[in-house]
Amino acid sequence: MSVNYSAHEAEEKRRRAKRAAVLLGLVAAAFYIGFIVLTYFRSQH
Amino acid sequence: MAYDSHAATHGHDAHDDHKPHGWRRWVFATNHKDIGTMYLIFSGLMFFIGGAMAMVIRAELFKPGLQFVDPQFFNSMTTMHALFMIFGAVMPAWTGLANWQIPLQVGAPDMALPRLNNFSFWILPFAFTILLSTIFVPGGGPAGGWTLYPPLVLQTSEAFPMVIFAIHLMGASSILGAINVIVTIMNMRAPGMTLLRMPLFVWSWLITAYLLIAVMPVLAGAVTMLLTDHFFGTTFFTAAGGGDPVMFQHIFWFFGHPEVYILILPAFGIVSEIIPAFARKPIFGYEAMVYAIASIAFLSFIVWAHHMFTVGMPLAGQLFFMLSTMLIAIPTGVKVFNWTATMWKSSMTFEPPMLFALSFLFLFTIGGFSGLMLAIVPADFQYHDTYFVVAHFHYVLVPGAIFSIMAGVYYWLPKWTSKMYDLKLATIHFWLSTIFVNVLFFPQHFLGLAGMPRRIPDYATQFTDWNMVSSIGAFGFGLSQLLFPYIIWKCVKSGVPAPSRAWEGAHGLEWELPSPLPYHTWEEPPAMDVIAKGAAH
Repeated sequence: MSVNYSAHEAEEKRRRAKRAAVLLGLVAAAFYIGFIVLTYFRSQH
Repeated sequence: MAYDSHAATHGHDAHDDHKPHGWRRWVFATNHKDIGTMYLIFSGLMFFIGGAMAMVIRAELFKPGLQFVDPQFFNSMTTMHALFMIFGAVMPAWTGLANWQIPLQVGAPDMALPRLNNFSFWILPFAFTILLSTIFVPGGGPAGGWTLYPPLVLQTSEAFPMVIFAIHLMGASSILGAINVIVTIMNMRAPGMTLLRMPLFVWSWLITAYLLIAVMPVLAGAVTMLLTDHFFGTTFFTAAGGGDPVMFQHIFWFFGHPEVYILILPAFGIVSEIIPAFARKPIFGYEAMVYAIASIAFLSFIVWAHHMFTVGMPLAGQLFFMLSTMLIAIPTGVKVFNWTATMWKSSMTFEPPMLFALSFLFLFTIGGFSGLMLAIVPADFQYHDTYFVVAHFHYVLVPGAIFSIMAGVYYWLPKWTSKMYDLKLATIHFWLSTIFVNVLFFPQHFLGLAGMPRRIPDYATQFTDWNMVSSIGAFGFGLSQLLFPYIIWKCVKSGVPAPSRAWEGAHGLEWELPSPLPYHTWEEPPAMDVIAKGAAH
Protein backbone atom coordinates (compact mmCIF):
# COMPACT_ATOMS: atom_id res chain seq x y z
CA MET A 1 0.00 0.00 0.00
CA SER A 2 1.39 3.36 -0.97
CA VAL A 3 1.24 6.31 1.44
CA ASN A 4 0.16 9.84 0.53
CA TYR A 5 0.87 12.87 2.68
CA SER A 6 -1.94 15.30 3.45
CA ALA A 7 -1.33 18.99 2.71
CA HIS A 8 -0.96 19.61 6.44
CA GLU A 9 1.60 16.82 6.83
CA ALA A 10 3.54 18.07 3.81
CA GLU A 11 3.60 21.61 5.22
CA GLU A 12 4.75 20.32 8.60
CA LYS A 13 7.51 18.30 6.89
CA ARG A 14 8.69 21.42 5.02
CA ARG A 15 8.72 23.44 8.26
CA ARG A 16 10.70 20.72 10.04
CA ALA A 17 13.22 20.58 7.19
CA LYS A 18 13.76 24.35 7.25
CA ARG A 19 14.11 24.39 11.05
CA ALA A 20 16.69 21.59 10.92
CA ALA A 21 18.65 23.35 8.17
CA VAL A 22 18.78 26.61 10.15
CA LEU A 23 19.85 24.74 13.27
CA LEU A 24 22.66 22.95 11.43
CA GLY A 25 23.76 26.27 9.89
CA LEU A 26 23.96 27.75 13.39
CA VAL A 27 26.05 24.79 14.56
CA ALA A 28 28.46 25.39 11.66
CA ALA A 29 28.63 29.11 12.47
CA ALA A 30 29.32 28.29 16.12
CA PHE A 31 32.28 26.11 15.13
CA TYR A 32 33.60 28.89 12.88
CA ILE A 33 33.36 31.64 15.48
CA GLY A 34 34.27 29.31 18.35
CA PHE A 35 37.62 28.38 16.88
CA ILE A 36 38.49 31.99 16.08
CA VAL A 37 37.64 33.04 19.67
CA LEU A 38 39.61 30.09 21.05
CA THR A 39 42.68 31.06 19.04
CA TYR A 40 42.31 34.70 20.05
CA PHE A 41 42.41 33.80 23.75
CA ARG A 42 45.28 31.38 23.14
CA SER A 43 47.29 34.19 21.51
CA GLN A 44 46.77 36.39 24.60
CA HIS A 45 48.91 34.11 26.78
CA MET B 1 27.21 -12.75 -15.69
CA ALA B 2 24.79 -10.65 -13.68
CA TYR B 3 23.73 -8.31 -16.50
CA ASP B 4 20.67 -9.72 -18.23
CA SER B 5 20.28 -8.22 -21.68
CA HIS B 6 17.09 -10.20 -22.39
CA ALA B 7 15.33 -8.36 -19.64
CA ALA B 8 16.51 -5.09 -21.07
CA THR B 9 13.19 -3.77 -22.19
CA HIS B 10 11.41 -4.68 -18.99
CA GLY B 11 10.09 -1.83 -16.97
CA HIS B 12 10.32 0.89 -19.61
CA ASP B 13 7.49 3.33 -19.19
CA ALA B 14 6.42 6.52 -20.80
CA HIS B 15 6.38 9.39 -18.33
CA ASP B 16 5.16 12.92 -18.48
CA ASP B 17 8.14 14.44 -16.76
CA HIS B 18 7.66 18.22 -17.10
CA LYS B 19 11.38 18.44 -17.71
CA PRO B 20 12.82 21.93 -18.31
CA HIS B 21 14.87 22.26 -21.47
CA GLY B 22 17.94 24.15 -22.67
CA TRP B 23 20.42 25.99 -20.50
CA ARG B 24 17.78 26.88 -17.92
CA ARG B 25 17.50 23.20 -16.99
CA TRP B 26 21.09 23.32 -15.74
CA VAL B 27 21.57 26.88 -14.50
CA PHE B 28 18.34 26.89 -12.51
CA ALA B 29 18.41 23.16 -11.78
CA THR B 30 16.56 22.01 -8.69
CA ASN B 31 16.14 18.36 -9.67
CA HIS B 32 18.47 16.15 -7.64
CA LYS B 33 19.38 14.05 -10.69
CA ASP B 34 20.39 17.10 -12.75
CA ILE B 35 22.40 18.57 -9.87
CA GLY B 36 24.00 15.18 -9.23
CA THR B 37 24.99 14.98 -12.89
CA MET B 38 26.49 18.48 -12.79
CA TYR B 39 28.49 17.62 -9.65
CA LEU B 40 29.83 14.45 -11.29
CA ILE B 41 30.79 16.20 -14.54
CA PHE B 42 32.46 19.00 -12.57
CA SER B 43 34.30 16.44 -10.46
CA GLY B 44 35.53 14.65 -13.60
CA LEU B 45 36.81 17.93 -15.03
CA MET B 46 38.68 18.75 -11.81
CA PHE B 47 40.06 15.18 -11.73
CA PHE B 48 41.66 15.72 -15.14
CA ILE B 49 42.97 19.21 -14.27
CA GLY B 50 44.42 17.89 -10.98
CA GLY B 51 45.71 14.87 -12.90
CA ALA B 52 47.48 17.10 -15.44
CA MET B 53 49.22 18.81 -12.52
CA ALA B 54 50.29 15.37 -11.24
CA MET B 55 51.74 14.63 -14.67
CA VAL B 56 53.83 17.83 -14.45
CA ILE B 57 55.08 16.70 -11.02
CA ARG B 58 55.97 13.18 -12.21
CA ALA B 59 57.56 14.43 -15.44
CA GLU B 60 59.81 16.72 -13.41
CA LEU B 61 60.69 13.87 -11.03
CA PHE B 62 61.40 11.38 -13.82
CA LYS B 63 65.10 12.00 -13.31
CA PRO B 64 67.24 14.11 -10.98
CA GLY B 65 68.01 17.72 -11.82
CA LEU B 66 65.59 20.36 -13.04
CA GLN B 67 63.99 19.40 -16.37
CA PHE B 68 60.80 21.27 -17.19
CA VAL B 69 59.65 23.67 -14.47
CA ASP B 70 61.24 25.95 -11.91
CA PRO B 71 61.01 24.97 -8.22
CA GLN B 72 58.41 27.65 -7.41
CA PHE B 73 56.07 26.35 -10.11
CA PHE B 74 56.73 22.76 -9.03
CA ASN B 75 55.72 23.61 -5.46
CA SER B 76 52.68 25.40 -6.80
CA MET B 77 51.75 22.24 -8.74
CA THR B 78 51.96 20.02 -5.63
CA THR B 79 49.80 22.49 -3.68
CA MET B 80 47.21 22.96 -6.42
CA HIS B 81 47.12 19.23 -7.26
CA ALA B 82 46.10 18.50 -3.67
CA LEU B 83 43.50 21.28 -3.50
CA PHE B 84 41.97 20.30 -6.86
CA MET B 85 41.86 16.59 -6.10
CA ILE B 86 40.52 16.88 -2.54
CA PHE B 87 38.08 19.76 -2.86
CA GLY B 88 37.43 19.66 -6.60
CA ALA B 89 37.43 15.99 -7.57
CA VAL B 90 36.68 13.69 -4.63
CA MET B 91 34.33 15.80 -2.47
CA PRO B 92 32.09 16.95 -5.37
CA ALA B 93 32.02 13.38 -6.70
CA TRP B 94 30.62 12.19 -3.36
CA THR B 95 28.11 15.03 -3.33
CA GLY B 96 27.12 14.13 -6.89
CA LEU B 97 26.59 10.51 -5.93
CA ALA B 98 24.68 11.62 -2.82
CA ASN B 99 22.44 13.84 -4.94
CA TRP B 100 21.66 11.05 -7.35
CA GLN B 101 21.30 8.23 -4.89
CA ILE B 102 20.05 9.43 -1.50
CA PRO B 103 16.55 10.50 -2.63
CA LEU B 104 16.23 7.33 -4.73
CA GLN B 105 17.41 5.12 -1.87
CA VAL B 106 15.30 6.61 0.92
CA GLY B 107 12.16 7.00 -1.18
CA ALA B 108 12.17 10.83 -1.27
CA PRO B 109 11.00 12.87 -4.28
CA ASP B 110 14.10 15.13 -4.16
CA MET B 111 16.59 16.67 -1.77
CA ALA B 112 14.90 18.58 1.04
CA LEU B 113 16.23 22.00 -0.03
CA PRO B 114 16.50 21.99 -3.84
CA ARG B 115 17.35 25.68 -4.34
CA LEU B 116 20.06 25.51 -1.70
CA ASN B 117 21.28 22.45 -3.57
CA ASN B 118 21.57 24.48 -6.77
CA PHE B 119 23.43 27.24 -4.91
CA SER B 120 25.85 24.72 -3.31
CA PHE B 121 26.82 23.43 -6.72
CA TRP B 122 27.15 26.73 -8.57
CA ILE B 123 29.54 28.11 -5.94
CA LEU B 124 32.10 25.52 -7.00
CA PRO B 125 32.89 26.58 -10.59
CA PHE B 126 33.57 30.12 -9.31
CA ALA B 127 35.79 28.86 -6.49
CA PHE B 128 37.91 26.71 -8.78
CA THR B 129 38.15 29.32 -11.53
CA ILE B 130 39.56 31.70 -8.93
CA LEU B 131 41.95 29.05 -7.63
CA LEU B 132 43.14 28.02 -11.10
CA SER B 133 43.61 31.61 -12.19
CA THR B 134 46.16 32.15 -9.41
CA ILE B 135 48.70 30.39 -11.68
CA PHE B 136 48.58 33.49 -13.88
CA VAL B 137 48.95 36.23 -11.25
CA PRO B 138 52.39 37.78 -10.67
CA GLY B 139 54.40 35.48 -8.39
CA GLY B 140 52.33 32.42 -9.29
CA GLY B 141 49.88 30.30 -7.37
CA PRO B 142 50.05 29.09 -3.78
CA ALA B 143 53.20 26.99 -3.27
CA GLY B 144 53.36 26.33 0.47
CA GLY B 145 51.49 23.02 0.39
CA TRP B 146 47.75 22.36 0.79
CA THR B 147 48.23 22.53 4.58
CA LEU B 148 48.78 26.30 4.26
CA TYR B 149 51.13 26.44 7.26
CA PRO B 150 52.13 29.90 8.43
CA PRO B 151 54.54 31.64 8.27
CA LEU B 152 55.37 30.02 4.89
CA VAL B 153 51.91 30.57 3.45
CA LEU B 154 52.12 34.28 4.27
CA GLN B 155 54.87 34.51 1.66
CA THR B 156 52.35 33.60 -1.06
CA SER B 157 52.25 36.12 -3.88
CA GLU B 158 49.31 38.30 -4.83
CA ALA B 159 47.41 35.03 -5.13
CA PHE B 160 47.02 34.80 -1.34
CA PRO B 161 43.62 36.50 -0.92
CA MET B 162 42.32 34.64 -3.98
CA VAL B 163 43.28 31.30 -2.47
CA ILE B 164 41.70 32.19 0.87
CA PHE B 165 38.51 33.33 -0.86
CA ALA B 166 38.38 30.17 -2.97
CA ILE B 167 38.78 27.98 0.13
CA HIS B 168 35.97 29.87 1.88
CA LEU B 169 33.73 29.25 -1.14
CA MET B 170 34.56 25.53 -1.26
CA GLY B 171 33.85 25.29 2.47
CA ALA B 172 30.52 27.07 2.12
CA SER B 173 29.53 24.74 -0.71
CA SER B 174 30.43 21.65 1.34
CA ILE B 175 28.59 22.86 4.44
CA LEU B 176 25.43 23.69 2.49
CA GLY B 177 25.60 20.33 0.74
CA ALA B 178 26.02 18.55 4.07
CA ILE B 179 23.05 20.40 5.61
CA ASN B 180 20.94 19.30 2.65
CA VAL B 181 22.00 15.67 3.04
CA ILE B 182 21.23 15.55 6.77
CA VAL B 183 17.88 17.31 6.41
CA THR B 184 16.90 15.04 3.52
CA ILE B 185 17.80 11.84 5.36
CA MET B 186 16.25 12.88 8.66
CA ASN B 187 13.03 14.39 7.24
CA MET B 188 12.32 12.89 3.84
CA ARG B 189 12.63 9.15 4.33
CA ALA B 190 9.60 7.21 3.16
CA PRO B 191 7.35 5.91 5.94
CA GLY B 192 8.75 2.54 6.98
CA MET B 193 12.31 3.42 5.95
CA THR B 194 13.65 3.32 9.49
CA LEU B 195 17.23 4.37 10.20
CA LEU B 196 18.37 0.76 10.48
CA ARG B 197 16.74 -0.10 7.16
CA MET B 198 18.67 2.56 5.29
CA PRO B 199 21.23 1.43 2.72
CA LEU B 200 24.81 1.66 3.98
CA PHE B 201 25.66 4.32 1.38
CA VAL B 202 23.01 6.57 2.96
CA TRP B 203 24.35 5.80 6.43
CA SER B 204 27.91 6.56 5.40
CA TRP B 205 26.82 9.88 3.90
CA LEU B 206 24.74 10.84 6.97
CA ILE B 207 27.80 10.42 9.18
CA THR B 208 30.05 12.15 6.64
CA ALA B 209 27.66 15.12 6.55
CA TYR B 210 27.88 15.55 10.33
CA LEU B 211 31.68 15.47 10.03
CA LEU B 212 31.54 18.13 7.33
CA ILE B 213 29.40 20.45 9.45
CA ALA B 214 31.78 20.06 12.38
CA VAL B 215 35.09 20.57 10.58
CA MET B 216 34.65 22.68 7.44
CA PRO B 217 33.90 25.78 9.57
CA VAL B 218 37.13 25.07 11.46
CA LEU B 219 39.11 25.26 8.21
CA ALA B 220 37.20 28.41 7.27
CA GLY B 221 38.05 29.93 10.67
CA ALA B 222 41.73 29.02 10.26
CA VAL B 223 42.03 30.62 6.82
CA THR B 224 40.06 33.69 7.96
CA MET B 225 42.67 34.15 10.68
CA LEU B 226 45.47 33.75 8.12
CA LEU B 227 43.80 36.47 6.09
CA THR B 228 43.55 38.87 9.03
CA ASP B 229 47.16 38.11 10.03
CA HIS B 230 48.25 38.97 6.50
CA PHE B 231 46.18 42.09 5.88
CA PHE B 232 44.79 43.45 9.14
CA GLY B 233 47.72 43.21 11.56
CA THR B 234 46.35 40.49 13.83
CA THR B 235 48.83 37.99 15.25
CA PHE B 236 46.85 34.77 15.67
CA PHE B 237 49.74 32.76 14.27
CA THR B 238 52.60 35.26 14.50
CA ALA B 239 54.97 34.60 17.38
CA ALA B 240 56.18 38.24 17.40
CA GLY B 241 52.72 39.41 18.43
CA GLY B 242 52.02 36.65 20.95
CA GLY B 243 50.50 34.22 18.46
CA ASP B 244 51.56 30.66 17.80
CA PRO B 245 52.22 29.15 14.35
CA VAL B 246 51.89 25.65 15.88
CA MET B 247 48.34 26.56 16.92
CA PHE B 248 47.52 26.79 13.21
CA GLN B 249 48.78 23.25 12.71
CA HIS B 250 46.55 22.00 15.54
CA ILE B 251 43.51 23.78 14.11
CA PHE B 252 44.31 22.70 10.56
CA TRP B 253 44.63 19.03 11.49
CA PHE B 254 41.54 19.19 13.71
CA PHE B 255 39.87 19.82 10.36
CA GLY B 256 42.34 17.80 8.27
CA HIS B 257 42.07 14.41 9.87
CA PRO B 258 38.27 14.19 9.84
CA GLU B 259 38.57 15.49 6.27
CA VAL B 260 40.40 12.27 5.40
CA TYR B 261 37.37 10.35 6.65
CA ILE B 262 35.04 12.68 4.78
CA LEU B 263 36.88 11.51 1.67
CA ILE B 264 36.73 7.81 2.55
CA LEU B 265 33.51 7.08 4.52
CA PRO B 266 31.21 7.33 1.46
CA ALA B 267 33.61 4.86 -0.20
CA PHE B 268 32.85 2.41 2.61
CA GLY B 269 29.15 2.94 1.87
CA ILE B 270 29.53 2.29 -1.86
CA VAL B 271 31.63 -0.83 -1.38
CA SER B 272 29.03 -2.07 1.12
CA GLU B 273 26.40 -1.73 -1.64
CA ILE B 274 28.45 -3.36 -4.38
CA ILE B 275 29.98 -6.39 -2.66
CA PRO B 276 26.60 -7.85 -1.53
CA ALA B 277 25.16 -7.22 -5.01
CA PHE B 278 27.85 -9.19 -6.82
CA ALA B 279 28.29 -11.78 -4.05
CA ARG B 280 24.51 -12.28 -4.11
CA LYS B 281 24.40 -12.30 -0.32
CA PRO B 282 23.18 -9.76 2.22
CA ILE B 283 25.95 -7.71 3.82
CA PHE B 284 27.46 -9.55 6.76
CA GLY B 285 26.82 -7.65 10.01
CA TYR B 286 24.80 -4.63 8.80
CA GLU B 287 24.50 -3.04 12.23
CA ALA B 288 28.18 -3.63 12.99
CA MET B 289 28.98 -1.80 9.74
CA VAL B 290 26.90 1.20 10.84
CA TYR B 291 28.51 1.31 14.28
CA ALA B 292 31.96 0.88 12.72
CA ILE B 293 31.43 3.94 10.47
CA ALA B 294 30.18 5.94 13.46
CA SER B 295 33.16 4.83 15.59
CA ILE B 296 35.64 5.78 12.88
CA ALA B 297 33.97 9.19 12.59
CA PHE B 298 34.15 9.73 16.35
CA LEU B 299 37.78 8.62 16.57
CA SER B 300 38.71 10.94 13.68
CA PHE B 301 38.22 13.89 16.08
CA ILE B 302 40.78 12.73 18.62
CA VAL B 303 43.77 11.74 16.49
CA TRP B 304 44.73 14.96 14.72
CA ALA B 305 48.13 15.50 16.31
CA HIS B 306 49.55 12.31 14.78
CA HIS B 307 50.26 14.56 11.79
CA MET B 308 52.48 16.67 14.05
CA PHE B 309 54.61 14.27 16.08
CA THR B 310 57.84 15.87 14.84
CA VAL B 311 56.67 19.34 15.92
CA GLY B 312 57.27 18.25 19.50
CA MET B 313 54.75 17.48 22.22
CA PRO B 314 54.75 15.99 25.71
CA LEU B 315 55.20 12.23 26.02
CA ALA B 316 51.62 11.86 27.28
CA GLY B 317 50.41 13.62 24.12
CA GLN B 318 52.49 11.38 21.89
CA LEU B 319 51.15 8.26 23.60
CA PHE B 320 47.55 9.47 23.50
CA PHE B 321 47.61 10.33 19.80
CA MET B 322 49.53 7.17 18.88
CA LEU B 323 47.14 4.87 20.74
CA SER B 324 43.97 6.66 19.66
CA THR B 325 45.16 6.42 16.05
CA MET B 326 45.79 2.70 16.42
CA LEU B 327 42.26 2.30 17.83
CA ILE B 328 40.88 3.21 14.39
CA ALA B 329 42.22 -0.12 13.14
CA ILE B 330 39.51 -1.88 15.18
CA PRO B 331 36.36 -0.54 13.46
CA THR B 332 38.23 -0.53 10.13
CA GLY B 333 39.12 -4.18 10.73
CA VAL B 334 35.46 -4.90 11.48
CA LYS B 335 34.55 -3.47 8.09
CA VAL B 336 37.22 -5.37 6.15
CA PHE B 337 36.23 -8.57 7.98
CA ASN B 338 32.53 -8.04 7.18
CA TRP B 339 33.18 -7.36 3.49
CA THR B 340 35.30 -10.51 3.35
CA ALA B 341 32.67 -12.51 5.25
CA THR B 342 30.00 -11.27 2.82
CA MET B 343 31.99 -12.83 -0.02
CA TRP B 344 32.68 -16.04 1.90
CA LYS B 345 31.07 -19.02 0.11
CA SER B 346 29.09 -16.66 -2.13
CA SER B 347 28.31 -16.87 -5.85
CA MET B 348 30.50 -14.01 -6.96
CA THR B 349 30.78 -12.54 -10.43
CA PHE B 350 33.33 -9.97 -11.44
CA GLU B 351 31.74 -7.14 -13.39
CA PRO B 352 33.57 -3.78 -13.37
CA PRO B 353 31.90 -2.38 -10.20
CA MET B 354 32.87 -5.52 -8.26
CA LEU B 355 36.41 -5.46 -9.68
CA PHE B 356 36.91 -1.87 -8.53
CA ALA B 357 35.36 -2.70 -5.13
CA LEU B 358 37.72 -5.67 -4.67
CA SER B 359 40.70 -3.59 -5.72
CA PHE B 360 39.58 -1.04 -3.14
CA LEU B 361 39.47 -3.75 -0.49
CA PHE B 362 43.04 -4.96 -1.09
CA LEU B 363 44.74 -1.65 -1.84
CA PHE B 364 42.94 0.47 0.76
CA THR B 365 44.04 -2.11 3.33
CA ILE B 366 47.66 -1.59 2.24
CA GLY B 367 47.12 2.17 2.78
CA GLY B 368 45.64 1.38 6.19
CA PHE B 369 48.65 -0.70 7.19
CA SER B 370 51.15 1.98 6.21
CA GLY B 371 48.97 4.36 8.24
CA LEU B 372 49.47 2.14 11.28
CA MET B 373 53.24 2.33 10.68
CA LEU B 374 53.03 6.12 10.60
CA ALA B 375 51.05 6.12 13.85
CA ILE B 376 54.03 4.73 15.75
CA VAL B 377 55.77 7.81 17.16
CA PRO B 378 59.45 6.78 16.88
CA ALA B 379 58.89 5.32 13.42
CA ASP B 380 57.05 8.47 12.35
CA PHE B 381 60.13 10.51 13.25
CA GLN B 382 61.85 8.62 10.41
CA TYR B 383 58.98 8.55 7.92
CA HIS B 384 57.71 12.11 8.43
CA ASP B 385 57.85 14.33 5.33
CA THR B 386 59.22 11.50 3.17
CA TYR B 387 57.73 9.79 0.13
CA PHE B 388 56.49 7.03 2.47
CA VAL B 389 53.77 9.45 3.58
CA VAL B 390 52.99 10.30 -0.05
CA ALA B 391 52.67 6.57 -0.84
CA HIS B 392 50.45 6.04 2.23
CA PHE B 393 47.88 8.72 1.56
CA HIS B 394 47.77 8.04 -2.18
CA TYR B 395 46.97 4.38 -1.45
CA VAL B 396 44.13 5.58 0.73
CA LEU B 397 42.84 8.20 -1.69
CA VAL B 398 43.36 6.74 -5.17
CA PRO B 399 42.46 3.03 -4.88
CA GLY B 400 40.44 4.02 -1.80
CA ALA B 401 38.31 7.04 -2.70
CA ILE B 402 38.78 7.35 -6.49
CA PHE B 403 38.32 3.64 -7.23
CA SER B 404 35.13 3.57 -5.15
CA ILE B 405 33.79 6.59 -7.01
CA MET B 406 34.46 4.72 -10.27
CA ALA B 407 32.91 1.57 -8.78
CA GLY B 408 29.82 3.61 -7.83
CA VAL B 409 29.52 5.19 -11.27
CA TYR B 410 29.90 1.79 -12.99
CA TYR B 411 27.33 0.32 -10.58
CA TRP B 412 24.62 2.95 -10.98
CA LEU B 413 25.31 4.21 -14.52
CA PRO B 414 22.88 1.65 -16.07
CA LYS B 415 20.19 2.95 -13.68
CA TRP B 416 20.92 6.62 -14.43
CA THR B 417 21.07 6.24 -18.21
CA SER B 418 18.88 3.11 -18.62
CA LYS B 419 21.72 1.85 -20.85
CA MET B 420 24.50 -0.65 -20.31
CA TYR B 421 28.06 0.49 -20.89
CA ASP B 422 30.78 -1.50 -22.65
CA LEU B 423 31.64 -4.04 -19.94
CA LYS B 424 34.76 -5.24 -21.76
CA LEU B 425 36.20 -1.74 -22.08
CA ALA B 426 35.37 -1.01 -18.44
CA THR B 427 37.17 -4.21 -17.42
CA ILE B 428 40.22 -3.06 -19.42
CA HIS B 429 39.93 0.30 -17.64
CA PHE B 430 39.95 -1.54 -14.33
CA TRP B 431 43.04 -3.66 -15.08
CA LEU B 432 45.05 -0.74 -16.47
CA SER B 433 44.12 1.40 -13.45
CA THR B 434 44.97 -1.31 -10.92
CA ILE B 435 48.29 -2.23 -12.50
CA PHE B 436 49.45 1.33 -13.06
CA VAL B 437 48.30 2.63 -9.67
CA ASN B 438 50.62 0.09 -8.03
CA VAL B 439 53.49 0.87 -10.41
CA LEU B 440 52.93 4.53 -9.55
CA PHE B 441 52.63 4.44 -5.78
CA PHE B 442 54.24 1.25 -4.48
CA PRO B 443 57.85 2.33 -5.28
CA GLN B 444 57.20 5.53 -3.32
CA HIS B 445 57.26 3.39 -0.15
CA PHE B 446 60.84 2.39 -0.98
CA LEU B 447 61.81 5.98 -1.81
CA GLY B 448 60.42 7.19 1.50
CA LEU B 449 62.08 4.48 3.54
CA ALA B 450 65.36 5.36 1.79
CA GLY B 451 64.87 8.95 2.91
CA MET B 452 63.62 10.87 -0.11
CA PRO B 453 61.83 13.99 1.13
CA ARG B 454 58.46 15.03 -0.33
CA ARG B 455 57.68 18.38 -2.01
CA ILE B 456 61.03 18.73 -3.79
CA PRO B 457 61.60 19.19 -7.54
CA ASP B 458 65.09 17.63 -7.48
CA TYR B 459 66.61 14.69 -5.60
CA ALA B 460 69.81 12.76 -4.95
CA THR B 461 70.82 10.36 -7.72
CA GLN B 462 70.31 7.19 -5.65
CA PHE B 463 66.55 7.76 -5.85
CA THR B 464 66.50 7.79 -9.67
CA ASP B 465 65.39 4.24 -10.53
CA TRP B 466 62.26 4.08 -8.39
CA ASN B 467 61.33 7.62 -9.42
CA MET B 468 61.48 6.57 -13.06
CA VAL B 469 59.26 3.54 -12.34
CA SER B 470 56.84 5.73 -10.40
CA SER B 471 56.65 8.28 -13.23
CA ILE B 472 56.04 5.55 -15.83
CA GLY B 473 53.20 4.32 -13.59
CA ALA B 474 51.84 7.87 -13.41
CA PHE B 475 51.79 8.35 -17.18
CA GLY B 476 50.15 4.93 -17.64
CA PHE B 477 47.56 5.64 -14.95
CA GLY B 478 46.84 9.11 -16.33
CA LEU B 479 46.39 7.86 -19.90
CA SER B 480 44.21 4.92 -18.87
CA GLN B 481 41.80 7.31 -17.10
CA LEU B 482 40.86 8.77 -20.47
CA LEU B 483 38.92 5.54 -20.97
CA PHE B 484 36.54 6.47 -18.16
CA PRO B 485 34.83 9.50 -19.78
CA TYR B 486 34.91 7.67 -23.14
CA ILE B 487 33.06 4.66 -21.68
CA ILE B 488 30.45 6.94 -20.10
CA TRP B 489 30.04 8.98 -23.31
CA LYS B 490 29.71 5.81 -25.38
CA CYS B 491 27.14 4.44 -22.93
CA VAL B 492 25.02 7.59 -23.10
CA LYS B 493 25.28 7.78 -26.90
CA SER B 494 24.93 4.19 -27.96
CA GLY B 495 24.65 1.86 -24.97
CA VAL B 496 22.29 -1.11 -25.25
CA PRO B 497 19.13 -0.79 -23.13
CA ALA B 498 19.59 -1.98 -19.56
CA PRO B 499 16.84 -3.57 -17.47
CA SER B 500 15.43 -1.68 -14.50
CA ARG B 501 17.43 -3.96 -12.20
CA ALA B 502 20.70 -3.93 -14.08
CA TRP B 503 22.52 -6.39 -11.82
CA GLU B 504 20.65 -9.48 -10.72
CA GLY B 505 21.92 -9.32 -7.12
CA ALA B 506 21.25 -5.58 -6.69
CA HIS B 507 18.92 -4.59 -3.84
CA GLY B 508 17.62 -1.23 -2.78
CA LEU B 509 14.76 1.11 -3.61
CA GLU B 510 16.55 2.60 -6.63
CA TRP B 511 16.33 -0.77 -8.41
CA GLU B 512 12.56 -0.91 -7.82
CA LEU B 513 12.11 2.14 -10.07
CA PRO B 514 11.47 1.72 -13.79
CA SER B 515 14.07 2.37 -16.48
CA PRO B 516 14.44 4.93 -17.98
CA LEU B 517 14.15 6.71 -14.68
CA PRO B 518 11.33 9.25 -14.64
CA TYR B 519 12.54 12.84 -14.22
CA HIS B 520 10.64 12.96 -10.93
CA THR B 521 10.76 9.84 -8.78
CA TRP B 522 9.00 8.76 -5.59
CA GLU B 523 6.47 11.57 -5.87
CA GLU B 524 4.39 9.13 -3.91
CA PRO B 525 6.46 7.38 -1.24
CA PRO B 526 7.12 3.71 -1.92
CA ALA B 527 4.85 1.17 -0.26
CA MET B 528 6.00 -0.77 2.79
CA ASP B 529 6.33 -4.02 0.85
CA VAL B 530 8.56 -2.28 -1.74
CA ILE B 531 10.77 -0.97 1.09
CA ALA B 532 10.95 -4.42 2.66
CA LYS B 533 11.78 -5.97 -0.73
CA GLY B 534 14.47 -3.36 -1.36
CA ALA B 535 16.18 -3.85 1.99
CA ALA B 536 19.10 -6.17 1.41
CA HIS B 537 19.72 -7.07 5.04
